Amino acid sequence: MTIKNHSRICLIISGAIILIALVLTIFGHGINMGIDFEGGLSMQYDMKTAVVSNDVSSVLSGMGIATSTVTVQGRDNNEVNIRIKDVAKDDIQKVQADFETAIKEKYPEASSIGDVNYVGPVAGATLVKNAVISVLLAAVLMLIYIAIRFDLNSGIAAVFGLLHDVLIMLSFMVIFRSVIQMNSSFIAAALTIVGYSINNTIVIFDRIRENAKKMPNVAREEVTNISIKESLGRTICTTVTTLITIVALCILGVASIREFALPIIIGILSGVYSANMINGYVWAFLEEKRRNRKAKA
Amino acid sequence: MKSSKRRAGGKTGAIVALCVVLVLTIALGVIGITGLSIPPRGLYKVLSWLPTWRSANWPASLPLGLDLRGGMYVEYSGKAPEGSTANFDELVEGTMSIIRTRLSDKGFNEANVQRIGTDGIRVEIPDVQDDTVLDLIGAAAKLEFKDPSGETFMTGDMVKTATYYYADGDHQIAFTLTDEGAKIFADMTAANIGRNIAIYLDGEMLINPTVQSAITNGSGVINGMQTAERATTIAAKIQSGALPLELTQQKVDKVSATLGQDAVSSSVKAALIGIVLIMLLMICRYRLNGLIASWALTIYTILLFMLIALFHIQLTLPGLAGVVLGIGMAVDANVIIFERFNEEVRKGRSAKAAVRAGFKNAMSAILDANVTTLIAAIVLLIFGTGSIQGFAKTLLLGVIVSMFTAIIVTRFLMNCFVNAGATNIALYTKVKAEKEVQE
Repeated sequence: MTIKNHSRICLIISGAIILIALVLTIFGHGINMGIDFEGGLSMQYDMKTAVVSNDVSSVLSGMGIATSTVTVQGRDNNEVNIRIKDVAKDDIQKVQADFETAIKEKYPEASSIGDVNYVGPVAGATLVKNAVISVLLAAVLMLIYIAIRFDLNSGIAAVFGLLHDVLIMLSFMVIFRSVIQMNSSFIAAALTIVGYSINNTIVIFDRIRENAKKMPNVAREEVTNISIKESLGRTICTTVTTLITIVALCILGVASIREFALPIIIGILSGVYSANMINGYVWAFLEEKRRNRKAKA
Repeated sequence: MKSSKRRAGGKTGAIVALCVVLVLTIALGVIGITGLSIPPRGLYKVLSWLPTWRSANWPASLPLGLDLRGGMYVEYSGKAPEGSTANFDELVEGTMSIIRTRLSDKGFNEANVQRIGTDGIRVEIPDVQDDTVLDLIGAAAKLEFKDPSGETFMTGDMVKTATYYYADGDHQIAFTLTDEGAKIFADMTAANIGRNIAIYLDGEMLINPTVQSAITNGSGVINGMQTAERATTIAAKIQSGALPLELTQQKVDKVSATLGQDAVSSSVKAALIGIVLIMLLMICRYRLNGLIASWALTIYTILLFMLIALFHIQLTLPGLAGVVLGIGMAVDANVIIFERFNEEVRKGRSAKAAVRAGFKNAMSAILDANVTTLIAAIVLLIFGTGSIQGFAKTLLLGVIVSMFTAIIVTRFLMNCFVNAGATNIALYTKVKAEKEVQE
């Protein structure tokens, strides 16, 4: 088996995915922001019988609430999750009480199942700010660490791959907006990927570091090919063991765990992809450039 | 472990060492499941500095976060009152300690109050889903002392203590003032003998006595409280005082306990399925080495949960997911080592030499990969709030424990097996030597 440099095509594919997500976002189909980011009121009720979501919506609009999201869930479609944007915090209790009175006309056995959640508009903004700072700070610290332990070009290439993985994760959040909401656990997921997806890159770069010394006269691209091939056994094995548990979690877990597990799965896959198809070649490209500059000087 | 390592040179020594580790693993597992009660005397007293190790079994003593246990949390943003010149950090700390007092006074001993960012305060109250608790937190008891012309000359922050007592057939509150307050009070009473000084709580006049003489000892009495209950409540309000910050409620979340139980049971199931599948995969691919990795993974899982219980790291929903994910990640170091081991075998090395060289070559990759993960975990720990912080802690612990089990435990076990006579390469891998190498 031979490994070849397909990084150009791969970059185009990744770019296309990110572009699609960007276009969708521009046209108003961006990430499905959860309550943690958007603010508003979220309530959950068990209706004891199957719910028709229009029934719930009409009750809400009868209360003068125009924009609401009603999601029917639970094993027998008994449960309903209601999200209302633009609720002043002083009105929460009134909205809850009014809704309970009104819904009982249609579903007499409706009862709240505890999970009531109110988020003010400021909280979401802080969350986004912290998330962006966290990812960037982690990226900078890793760049410094890798630049010290490897070389600057390795650091740049690894962080390039890292940002690629985070962007791909965000793009999939856009593309799968009907399946998955973005909540604060997404930040944990994104940071997990920042920490773990780089592992694949590091292991391959460790090979490159070793082989580059042994083969000073071989083209850097070829060194990358060889290193990726030598690491392939480990890459496959570790990816499988990691995916086993997280996929089990995704299948068996409750909705809030799935919200966390699904982005991680995408991130892991993206991490394997970028580590094997892109990052090494970015390093090779940068190294050849550096060598040419050196040769000219 | 160290002494057995020295003896591991001989065949019997290696077998004994393996048995010792096996017994230790089983003991660890038994302790992990049944729990360990350390009596607080004798030699064990030395250990008493350790965070409380509950005598009950560990699943019960694992501290569950709000999202798994059920309860509610509220996030506030605080603003300094207009015209305040006080240090903002001190105002936040003061507000937090008053909230703590108010909650623990009402029996919410497990409530947790923490600061987020610069001006945020997060209050977590387990097992409760009742809005009246919020009134308790937010209630700002504003105590004012007014001179005869109705001007406020002193506020509740000058009050040191306020206690209820019953005397002369009357419900009363005795209060003492801070040194500064005592001085102001002495001056005001001296200047207003024969006139009235009033005490107001939240705008309501409590008392309006005529000053008989200057009060210089910094204490006083509010009498004429109608009932013992009213006096106690007011005393508590005065004691905890006004909140130094004006709080705005940003976020309220109530979580039912059933949701958390589902999350815990499904995560445990996923973890067990994951562990069994990983072990099967490792044994199929790496044979005896895979068995060793499975052994190390068992130790990893037990140790991780024990440490989580020991250090009282709150297990949150993302935290639990992090633990399960970590199990999959923990074998990565082993995989790197075994792949290097196989390469050495391919070069024609003996099992013993391959163990040594395999570890040596794998170490830089393992170190660098784990350090980058640690960087992410630490950034999360600093910038995350609530459940994300719980996740960062389990991630951090997971990385450290897996480094220990995947490097130290695995290396020790591999050496033992080799020394015990398991030197046939076919026991470890299907890889064959491509060329003979002089050892």
